[in-house]
Amino acid sequence: MSPLDYHVLLALSSGALYGYAIKEAVAADSGGTQTPRAGTLYRVIARLITLGWVRETRPEGAIDPHPGLARRYYGLTPAGRTALIAEAKRLKSTAALAQRRLGTAR
Amino acid sequence: MSRIIRLAVALFPPAFRREFGSSMRAMAGEEIDRARSRGRLAAWRCTLYTVMNLAGAACAEWVRPTWNVDPSDLSNKTKGHRMRTFEHWLRDLRFAARSLARTPGFAAVTAVTLALAIGANAAIFAVADAVLLRPLPFANADRLMFVAATAPGSEIPGEFGLFDESFPQVRERSHLVEDFALYSAGTGTLRIGDRVERPRLADVTYNLFATLGARPVLGRLPGPDDHGRVALLSYQIWRDWLGRDPNVIGKTFIVDGEPRAIIGVMGPEFGFPSDNIAAWTPFDVRPSADRLGQPGGGAIARVHPGASPDDVARELTGLLRQLPDRYGNNAAYARLLPRLQVVARPLRTEMLGSVTRPLAVLFAAALIVLVIACANVTNLFGVRAENRRHEVAIRQAIGAQRSQIIRSQMTEVIVVAFAAAVLAVVCARVALPVFVALAPVNVPRLAAAAIGFTTIAFTFVLALGSGLVCGVVPALRSSSVRALDMRASTRSVTGRRRWERDALLAGQTALALVLLVGAGLLLRSYARLSHVSPGYSTKDLFTFQFAPKQPRLTDGPSWAQFHLDFMDRLRALPGVQSVGIVDNMPLDEGTESARFMVDGAPEDGAVRLAFTIAGPDYYETMGIKVLAGRGFTRDDALGMRGNVIISRSAAKLLWPNADPIGRRLTSDRAPTWETVVGVVDDVIQENWRRPAQPLVYYPLTGHDPREWMVTSPGYVIRTTRAESIGADVQALVRQVAPEAPVYRAYTMQFLAERQMRDLSFTMLTLGLVSGLAIVLAAVGLYGALSYIVAQRTREIGVRLALGAQPRTVRRMVVRQGAQIVGAGVLAGTIVALGAAPALGRLLFGVAPIDLLTFVAAVAWMIVVGLFASYLPARRASNVDPIVSLRSE
Repeated sequence: MSPLDYHVLLALSSGALYGYAIKEAVAADSGGTQTPRAGTLYRVIARLITLGWVRETRPEGAIDPHPGLARRYYGLTPAGRTALIAEAKRLKSTAALAQRRLGTAR
Repeated sequence: MSRIIRLAVALFPPAFRREFGSSMRAMAGEEIDRARSRGRLAAWRCTLYTVMNLAGAACAEWVRPTWNVDPSDLSNKTKGHRMRTFEHWLRDLRFAARSLARTPGFAAVTAVTLALAIGANAAIFAVADAVLLRPLPFANADRLMFVAATAPGSEIPGEFGLFDESFPQVRERSHLVEDFALYSAGTGTLRIGDRVERPRLADVTYNLFATLGARPVLGRLPGPDDHGRVALLSYQIWRDWLGRDPNVIGKTFIVDGEPRAIIGVMGPEFGFPSDNIAAWTPFDVRPSADRLGQPGGGAIARVHPGASPDDVARELTGLLRQLPDRYGNNAAYARLLPRLQVVARPLRTEMLGSVTRPLAVLFAAALIVLVIACANVTNLFGVRAENRRHEVAIRQAIGAQRSQIIRSQMTEVIVVAFAAAVLAVVCARVALPVFVALAPVNVPRLAAAAIGFTTIAFTFVLALGSGLVCGVVPALRSSSVRALDMRASTRSVTGRRRWERDALLAGQTALALVLLVGAGLLLRSYARLSHVSPGYSTKDLFTFQFAPKQPRLTDGPSWAQFHLDFMDRLRALPGVQSVGIVDNMPLDEGTESARFMVDGAPEDGAVRLAFTIAGPDYYETMGIKVLAGRGFTRDDALGMRGNVIISRSAAKLLWPNADPIGRRLTSDRAPTWETVVGVVDDVIQENWRRPAQPLVYYPLTGHDPREWMVTSPGYVIRTTRAESIGADVQALVRQVAPEAPVYRAYTMQFLAERQMRDLSFTMLTLGLVSGLAIVLAAVGLYGALSYIVAQRTREIGVRLALGAQPRTVRRMVVRQGAQIVGAGVLAGTIVALGAAPALGRLLFGVAPIDLLTFVAAVAWMIVVGLFASYLPARRASNVDPIVSLRSE
């Protein structure tokens, strides 16, 4: 799972979002290191849908009115949630490992 | 900008695009909107990056799909793939560049062919982008409408401006209109320091700027309390006359002949009602009894969202019909209001409607040229591919995959297309200034046309698209060679005809013919228009105006005396044959109109006619024929006699069955009775495309000295020195009226040529484009036939060896060309018959389906086609049998 896949799943973990909002959430979560543009982001979404981790859903609550093209919302599937949890665990353990090693190296 | 995004999204595979296309566009739109709030530059940068990102992601999606694929295909491939793809790409690129470098002639011909066609498209696109595609420089321009009135069946034909008193009525009572402003443009004296000129000025209601959503760059907008003592300057005047003086606000200059305080400077992009307005003077609308029901200037309305032009027209028609309830009824209302129909149309249509068609015609022509160029390049690549069958067969035999071969061939096309795009941008850069310089002066926003980011993006997308189109068929064809075909790929093959190639050649012949017919029709219109007889001569005439401001010029006779004295001085200049004077110079100005009535006619027998004011020797100087009676004399000019002269069609209208000389008429312009002393030939006042209108000429003075004053008439001088007399005139004006600028100094020749300009521009461009088309078509035919002859060299050698006459061989090749040209001409004629009416109003005096034009175009196309076939045929008949057989 690439960092961007991880961040998109992470962004969707607290509720369904649409394209631009996903990008904003990803940018905020990653401290500005991940700012995917439309083409990149939607290929990631397409791949996550193909993997069965993300699906199109209705947004929770009322949609704020906006001009322009209709927004489509995407949310996590249970499999996506599982994958995210597994990845988070993996990251946590590798991060802990790194800290341990660097701590001893210092 | 949304167009580029749409184009970039279109690059994705269809399935992906269907699922995510609109979402990606929405997201890109939001990003760009967000960036726009940080400025234009940021918006452009964001667009650029987004387009690049979309294009890159689209390529990646084609190579490595994420949608509509099996999930197992996704997870087990690693990042190395992207690297590998990139390396393949680089390798293909190197390969393509090397193989093109081995055939520099081929590379140059294909790239230049594409570049010329794409460059023409890019230049026209740059103009269309600046003039048509960009939104009008007003806030929420889609809610602005131009409003005018018609009264079918009344004495006013066509549209006229709303009455001034509509201003309070509409503003106070309309539910659909948010704001409503009146304006009219004309020339007036502008004096800043020592500099005096007569530029275009606009009289506007104070709220015009707010209605348009425009803001000044300096100072403030006028308010309802300014009462016409203020003015706003255009950016150009502020920059060129005042050197961007920041302290200009509050200073007083002469604007439109009166001292006015400058309260604001508008921005550089603001030009309303036209680009060349130098200053705006707010006026107060004070409906006075004698002006009620008089047609006024232009009107614009800012309507509420969702209101359609028809809704607005209907509501305003109702509101105007209620005007008598507010101001009382009068004769003008009684005549006009029952028939009144307000018309409203989007401001965009009003401002850009007339330039849309020429640009659309040119764009269509340029696209046709591109299609022809693509057909040529396709043929060239096809030939190249056929010559390469040997090489391809070997590559396949040693294990190259078909997709690899297609890819390497396509890369070649893309390299050529890329080179063509670069060349095309250069071509467009060179062509655009020429194009803009030739264009008619009245095209709005033309000056803004430039080869900017949009045009360059357009050029590259077009080049890439053309490259793909040109390359795909040859690439597929050549890749289908099997190793077994190697035997067939030796040169001993006799020429096989390829129906696709013949169809391409016939198709480009057809398209070239369509353009040729279009150019021919415009050429004929031009010839017709230049033979229009306007009723006056246009040779050896010089005309100018100036507006003196002197205390002794107080009434009609004093002005008339001034003009007569000045005419005497003009007459004394060397080379001057005669001098005339008229209030509205034909071809330079329109005339006013009034309601005329003849002696003894019933009360409702009035007709609306145009009128102007003329002095002695006017007809003689202009070469207008006096048909009956006489022209004006000095005595008419000074004597307050009330003698008038009418044009032939006015005579026919007013006294259909009688001699008008000595009869009397009156009008609502001057309530006195005038006597007709002469009838003169009709003249075309403004537009050569329209027939001459009836016209009444008043003398320089009326019955009463205060009745009318001719303050800035047009002087016209008949002289063989028309081109050079301007400086003498200027010097003379400086002597008699140092305060007055000379303006509108033209030769009649120039004014006549200006009439032809919009047509000559379209004609010239279409002529050039169709010339390019016919050259490309001929070159394509020549190239293809030459290739066929080269392929058949052996066969021809055998034929000649067996005793065939060179003539027979020549005929054989020419026949093949003739069949192609014949099919192309047939198809082209049919298409042209359908397409010619699209030229519409650009044509003058020629039916869209003009036999002569069609016959000439077809004949020319056949001649060019046969010539292009004859050259290879001659080469074929010169084949030496011995040499051709030995060469095997």
